[in-house]
Amino acid sequence: MILTKTGKDLQLVKIAFREFYFNHGNKIEEPSKMQNREFGLMGFDGVMKRHLKFSNLGGLVASLILENPSDVFTSNAQYDFPALPMSEKGWRGADLIFDIDLKDLGLKCMQSHSYRTCLSCSSSYVSGSPESCPKCGANSFAESMLPCDRCINGLKSEVLKLHRFLTTDIGISPEMISTYFSGNNGFHVHVLDESFNDLSSHARADLAAYIMGVGILADVIGATKDSRNDFRVRFPIGGLDHGWRKRISDRLGISITSQKRLTNLVNEQGGLEQFRRRVVEITREMGVRIDAQVTTDVHRVFRLPGTLNGKSGLTKTLCPDLSSFDPFNESCQLSNREVTVRLTLPKLKLRLKGERFNLTEEFARVPMFIGVYLISKGLAHTVHFDP
Amino acid sequence: MNFRLGTADLAKYPFLNEAAEYMRQTYFNLDDINLPELRHIVERASNRIRSEIVHGKPDYALERHEVEILTFLVGILIIRAINSDNLTKKHCLCEALRAEKFLARDLKAHGEFSNKKLLIFKVFKELLKMDVHPSLKYQLLLEVKVTDYLKRSHLFHEQEWKLSNRLVHDGRVFLDPDETVRLIRSEVANLLLERIRQMNPSHIPATIMEQANILKSILPVAPAKLGNAPSAYPPCVSHALDQMAAGENLPHSARVMLATYMLATGKNIEEIVSLFKNAPDYDERVSRYQVEHLAGERGSHVRYLVPSCTKLLNEGLCFATSQCEGLINPVQFGRAIRFHSRKANVGQG
Repeated sequence: MILTKTGKDLQLVKIAFREFYFNHGNKIEEPSKMQNREFGLMGFDGVMKRHLKFSNLGGLVASLILENPSDVFTSNAQYDFPALPMSEKGWRGADLIFDIDLKDLGLKCMQSHSYRTCLSCSSSYVSGSPESCPKCGANSFAESMLPCDRCINGLKSEVLKLHRFLTTDIGISPEMISTYFSGNNGFHVHVLDESFNDLSSHARADLAAYIMGVGILADVIGATKDSRNDFRVRFPIGGLDHGWRKRISDRLGISITSQKRLTNLVNEQGGLEQFRRRVVEITREMGVRIDAQVTTDVHRVFRLPGTLNGKSGLTKTLCPDLSSFDPFNESCQLSNREVTVRLTLPKLKLRLKGERFNLTEEFARVPMFIGVYLISKGLAHTVHFDP
Repeated sequence: MNFRLGTADLAKYPFLNEAAEYMRQTYFNLDDINLPELRHIVERASNRIRSEIVHGKPDYALERHEVEILTFLVGILIIRAINSDNLTKKHCLCEALRAEKFLARDLKAHGEFSNKKLLIFKVFKELLKMDVHPSLKYQLLLEVKVTDYLKRSHLFHEQEWKLSNRLVHDGRVFLDPDETVRLIRSEVANLLLERIRQMNPSHIPATIMEQANILKSILPVAPAKLGNAPSAYPPCVSHALDQMAAGENLPHSARVMLATYMLATGKNIEEIVSLFKNAPDYDERVSRYQVEHLAGERGSHVRYLVPSCTKLLNEGLCFATSQCEGLINPVQFGRAIRFHSRKANVGQG
């Protein structure tokens, strides 16, 4: 269930967001061919206004200060008439974008910093708690997560894996790839090479499947069905030097010089069917955990780089150097002025804007960026702030 | 380097702009087709279409370029005069298959950079806007850009055409000559289809009309509808039937699904074979053999089952609706429909 902010919480977050767009509107990245893109502004009530058009960044920033949305999106597609209904827009092509989300990585640490907040009494608990709220008995919750350093490192290594597929296999030059922290629990990888823009949704699905390692047959490394003997080994023309053929053969320790090794491996697995299943397991494991639906959608709107994420108060930020990028520092751009909040958890440790916070009291005086972060996650409520 | 196609190449690829240019240079007039000395060309074109109607197969005979270019031209005029959407698609597919055979042969020509190959690469580039290069790394393979491959390969449902099962490196997909030309088959067919649809001859010569009328009389009648109401079919089967009715070239996997489903629901071989009459490559003998094979009456005598929903999904043949919820095989669809309608009736009562 989505957490909707009300009362003082809503007031505080709105002030913080408007202040940000007033002071840092110039940090928003102007999308290429801006006049051909559709924009969407999500209100704090969860309602999205789509089919908007802005011809320049100034007009957009003015609108953000005025309308004060919780989230700002722009289409990956370019249209002849972006403000018209979808069927009349005139699709010209769409940027190729990949999304890597923390929830898809299945990291072990996630459970320990995932929370449920009771929508009735606002108490929060670490996930895995009983079905109903121990305090009031209600059973409607909002889910949230505070990613830790391990989560970010896990995401980064998945992004690097994606970079390797895109550069080595798909042939995209590294300077044609831009990586962004999404502002919450993931990274977006934008391909700037326009030769991918006219790919249909089906073609993108095929590309996504390649990157995820889905649908790979054992035949690609030479183990094929044989009507007489269950299987036979015949290495493919082109060998095992590149792409998935290389990944699988390296993993299994086979080379084109030894047919026997592959024959033995298939037999050890108990035949071709079992070996095929093993190949499926290996490739799924070695593939990149991207959200395929995001990549295949050619009419989607994506968070605009440089704008705030309504689920955290952090910005979607370009990462020129992924290894040194620290989202808890570089994406935290709300003000430092102090606010008083009431925690919905007994205690909480976190790090933002280069500072460590160890919150052990129910009421805490914290900087605005911490207040908004916790309120957005449903882990605190506003008590007092100076408007 | 600037390569010009020779007349021998025009004979194999008479749909190229150079062939049209050649005709312009000969001052050919549409009514010249009525001349007695061109009678054999009209008959040749007519026989070619007759063979396409009866056997669903192209004619691979290759004469000198004047004959081939004229046969092609007369052929599309006859097709235009018959004005049957299904036959037009069938003819375009046969012309594409014919070109495919010659292209593959030329691509396999000896020598990495033979003029022959370079000419073919020029054809790919100019006609289909697709770069094809001989691989410097693998002697027998050709390279196409990943994007060019993806734009075409998604039309294939077989797993081996998925990018995941291809040799991919540095933005290129490596293919053998047969695979390379197979990749563009439907595109060539569509290009021809587009050209025929856009053709606007001032009039149709009498000899063309005469042949068109003869061929019209042997066109198969549309297959009779099967007993079940269309809504009783699962969406995957309905989709395949619609495609077939529109004269589309269904992939092998879709044909297997259609035939096994019809067998499972009790249709006889005759009814099922007639379903495929609209296929551009329809050959009654081949279709009958395949349906009988699936029914377990030939070969290994194993009756084939309807592919599961998961398999159909993987092959891009699933068009599930809310009524498919919980099904694992399309044969369960009828039961699910009956269950839902009983539930609705109870609700109304």
